[in-house]
Amino acid sequence: MAIKIVPRYGSSFRDKLYIPAIAGGMKTTFKHFFKNLRDVEGLPTLQYPEVQPTDITERYRGVHRLTKHDDGTEKCVACFMCATACPAECIFIEAEERFDGVDEKRPKEFKIDLLECVFCGYCVEACPCDAIRMDTGIFSFTASSRKEFVLDKKALMKNERSKDFE
Amino acid sequence: MSTTIIIIVNIALSVVLAVGLTPLWVWWERRIAGFIQDRSGPNRCSIGVIRLGGLVQAVADMLKLIFKEDFTPSHIKHKFFFTIAPAIVFMASFLTFAVIPYADVLTIDGKAHTMQAIPNELGIMWFLAFAGLSVYGIILGGYSSQSKYGLLGSIRASAQVISYEAAMGLSIISMIVSYGSIHLTDIVNAQTGTYLGVIPMWGIFIQPLAAVIFIVCSFAETNRAPFDLAEGESEIVAGYHTEYSAMKFGLFQVGEYAAMSASSALIVTLFFGGYQIPWMDTATIQSNINYVILAIIILLPVKIFIFTRWMKKNNKRVGNDTSREKETKILTVIFWSLCLVIVGVLISFLVTGLGTNGVNIATAVLQVGTFMVKFFMMAFVYMWVRWTVLRIRYDQLQMLGWKVLIPLALLNIVITAIVVVLGN
Repeated sequence: MAIKIVPRYGSSFRDKLYIPAIAGGMKTTFKHFFKNLRDVEGLPTLQYPEVQPTDITERYRGVHRLTKHDDGTEKCVACFMCATACPAECIFIEAEERFDGVDEKRPKEFKIDLLECVFCGYCVEACPCDAIRMDTGIFSFTASSRKEFVLDKKALMKNERSKDFE
Repeated sequence: MSTTIIIIVNIALSVVLAVGLTPLWVWWERRIAGFIQDRSGPNRCSIGVIRLGGLVQAVADMLKLIFKEDFTPSHIKHKFFFTIAPAIVFMASFLTFAVIPYADVLTIDGKAHTMQAIPNELGIMWFLAFAGLSVYGIILGGYSSQSKYGLLGSIRASAQVISYEAAMGLSIISMIVSYGSIHLTDIVNAQTGTYLGVIPMWGIFIQPLAAVIFIVCSFAETNRAPFDLAEGESEIVAGYHTEYSAMKFGLFQVGEYAAMSASSALIVTLFFGGYQIPWMDTATIQSNINYVILAIIILLPVKIFIFTRWMKKNNKRVGNDTSREKETKILTVIFWSLCLVIVGVLISFLVTGLGTNGVNIATAVLQVGTFMVKFFMMAFVYMWVRWTVLRIRYDQLQMLGWKVLIPLALLNIVITAIVVVLGN
């Protein structure tokens, strides 16, 4: 292997003067300042609440949703696989019998505590029926009390696949 | 009567420039830092739709500091010194502003008025005295905090003082030798005229070496980057103001910005022609006042046009929020109506003509305006340097002060003295 010799700086008279280097740095910073002052829109900063990010990938794990059959009923069969797989133990399912012939069981209530959830996606992996997904693209969920962070079945079924992924 | 008004105007000018500009400086600092680093900086705080590009944020910060609990840690034994330290920093920085001349000597009804807040004959000595004093506040603050970080900050501050103060004084001596006066109005008046008819005879062209030394030393004197090692937030928490909170901390901050204002005012006065408009001395303005007014009448709308167009381009709606568009419209109307009022007043001056006093006052106003423009540009340089140059260690600062700046300053004095003696 060849030895790479790194040039040492700071020994020449020009380097010891410091002023050329400082002037060069000042030139660079002023260029940035002037460019951004002339065209504030050119900044990479997103003016966040008004402008939302559009570059969320399809694999992004957002807030959960419960998928539905074509007739609008839930696919979930209340098998408890997701609740078992969940490392944060934030999924609470209450099962009941289902009589419409689609399946034998359905969740009477399906709750996810988003304050406990670590958004690992194990529930999605565990689900044998593709009934739970995290493709809503909702990356910021806000509420003003702890209770509001517990999403129930109704709320989870209302969430849709993000439009950005189409 | 006129004496009283002039004194009040002068004092008001120094209060505004030294203290009142602190929110503006904080805002500038943060926005300039943002733009230099390709960020946007604080721009969301608003009253109604008026954001002024984030200036409201600085006012909100000041309000917060005022209403916070003024907390004194229980381990502090010398509460008196602890309390008085920020006041010393603030007062010393504030008083340095008192000798800066804002305009040439103003003659009203045959009576001459010096345009300084405290019209004394001490001139630059006053500045040196109070600028040197402000570091006592920092040392006292860190020392009475009784915490290791505060103490380290104080030690660094004292190490800093012995590094730069001598070189600063020596560089000023060479300026005094070449101008022949310690009175700042005389120094500024000595900077009229031109070399070869083109280059204005400013201090920086007469004494470039002294200018560089003085500017470097005044950066050290204001405790700003690259010499903010007494604060050193990445190494010693916050240095001398670690234990301070609320408005005591606020006073330190105001003092720092007042020191920055005073230093940039003094640099402008000593090296950039002070209140002199380049290529036009006081007598020239007074004899050609009508042309000057005419030039302002033409230039002002052009400037307002350029500014409002820039604002329209950069203050657009964001998403569905139209408040920025509304703000742009309101500000455009305000700026244009101000512009029309000023132009109207100036036209009335042109039509009716100014008396002797009027010409003198108009000249003074113009010179104050010139001073302010230069002053703001110098303050911009302060922030520009802060976000460019890295903080240096205090042994490096001592090395710079004693091994580089002092020999250079001494050499400069010798050369200046020889030139002055041989020149006469």
